[in-house]
Amino acid sequence: MRLNDIKELTLPKRRDEQFIKVNFGDLFSYDFKNTQNYNFDIMGLEVRKDTKEYANSLFEITKNLDNKQVVLTINSNIPEPICLVHKIQEDETFFTNSLKIEVKENVKASVIEVFTNSSTNSAYSVNRSFEVNENANFEYAKIQDINDENYLLFNLDIEQKDNSKCKITNFEYGTGFIINNIINVLDNKNCDYELNGLVKAHKSSNTANVIKTVHNDENSISDINYKHSLEDNSRAVFKALSVVNKDALFSKAFQNSNTILLSNDATIFAQPHLEILIDELEASHGATTGTLDKEQLLYLQSRGINKKLAYEILLKAFESKIYDNISDNLIKEFIQDYKREKYV
Amino acid sequence: MLEIKNLKVNINDKEILKGLNLNIKEGEVHALMGVNGAGKSTLVKTLSAHYDCVVTDGSVTYKKKDLLDLDVAQRANEGIFMSFQNPIEVPGVNNSYFLKTAINEKRAYNGEKDIDTMDFLKLIKEETSKFDLDKKLLQRDLNEGFSGGEKKRNELIQLLLLNPDLIMLDEIDSGLDVDAIKTVANVVNAMLDGKKSVLMITHYDRLLELIKPDFVHILNDGKIVKTGDYSLALELDEKGYEGIGIKDETK
Repeated sequence: MRLNDIKELTLPKRRDEQFIKVNFGDLFSYDFKNTQNYNFDIMGLEVRKDTKEYANSLFEITKNLDNKQVVLTINSNIPEPICLVHKIQEDETFFTNSLKIEVKENVKASVIEVFTNSSTNSAYSVNRSFEVNENANFEYAKIQDINDENYLLFNLDIEQKDNSKCKITNFEYGTGFIINNIINVLDNKNCDYELNGLVKAHKSSNTANVIKTVHNDENSISDINYKHSLEDNSRAVFKALSVVNKDALFSKAFQNSNTILLSNDATIFAQPHLEILIDELEASHGATTGTLDKEQLLYLQSRGINKKLAYEILLKAFESKIYDNISDNLIKEFIQDYKREKYV
Repeated sequence: MLEIKNLKVNINDKEILKGLNLNIKEGEVHALMGVNGAGKSTLVKTLSAHYDCVVTDGSVTYKKKDLLDLDVAQRANEGIFMSFQNPIEVPGVNNSYFLKTAINEKRAYNGEKDIDTMDFLKLIKEETSKFDLDKKLLQRDLNEGFSGGEKKRNELIQLLLLNPDLIMLDEIDSGLDVDAIKTVANVVNAMLDGKKSVLMITHYDRLLELIKPDFVHILNDGKIVKTGDYSLALELDEKGYEGIGIKDETK
């Protein structure tokens, strides 16, 4: 099965403005021996046909191969995060999976997903749809640890109702080819949307975060904050577009990308971008790229801390801001205790 | 303890130290004075292996070892402590964690076991309470958002806990009020046990009144041009550099 050969699919091109710098070529042209739906090991979940028209064509890949969507409905507060672990084991296989998480009115809930693999030349195309209802508070964390010669296409569509909160934190640890395609169209009032990410890449890891946020109604906040620490010949793309439309008065739209390049061969393409059609708002965007601060490094060394350890301490300090932003302590603990060996 | 011979140092290809000689023995307190740009900070930065400083000639022997062969951390673990003129802010690194790590690095260097957390907390409590230093500084990130005075106090906490043999103070009195200068002096004087040595850079007599130097050196154009005892600092305070025959070569 070759994605390029599926006639019903209109796949994005590398030259498309939204996906500029994202290398789709290998994924779209690779001939996978099998296709398979990745089933959750959870009984009793509702399964629906996914009929939603998504904002870009990457969602159509999963839908085209399998349009069934599992629905996880959270009706009441849950004390601990729900944890979903995905282990891709079969070689040369294109997996699909589609999940909708509905968080009902006034409910506080959290979910963690872990994506790992022990496969070779496989791909995982994942569609996620979050519906966060009135006054609900949803926190989601994802650990991506997909290794060499494997692909993960993670499409996330978020829908927030009035006064809802949605906080998403992505930890990108793997060395594979990863595309995160995250869309939130804020059609309602007083929504709080926070999207954080840590891209900790090494070897020939290739990670792209393509993010689109649209403010269509009043008083909502979107805060996008990514940190990249890139080693070896890893490559990352951060492309964030936040649109504030005419009716979205008093919105707050923030975007930030910070990158530390830890080798001469690591590369980042960071493009935060705002499109604003009103005056009554707060907005900012920024991107920094550099190496570790040599003054800070010297200061730590001057107190007897060897260079390697000083380097590690500073890198951890840079990365820790993403951990610190997590609200749910159980998610924090999970992330801190995470070790790939436990899941592969 | 420290013997500097004919030390020549460049910063950005410009020669700053032009053949400096200095000998500091165990237990001695040396003050280094001089006009701005004379090379005072370059000397202490060179002794701490700052990356800006390129040694082009001369030798530095510390505790019978070639100091110039040691890297920054090794020099610190051999007992050299430089108090920074402007301590660096390191957001995200907890001050207490940093200090405990530094203590354990020194202990590992000396073949000793790591300090136990309880012993570390006890040590902090003991040392900070002696000198009325606010140990709450340790709960914050390293120097982040500290006022000028807090940064200097934090340097003093590090100094007390790392217990070095050669204390180098680069204008530690700058920007400090009278009470804070007294705290600096109390800490340094309490550490002087006849074995520790001090090299302090200052522009003012105030610190020297409180930490009496055995030797006062005047540095001019990269060389020590005059050495005396505390009375030289007093004379300098009264007459100024030109009054004691020092021509400012930077003008």
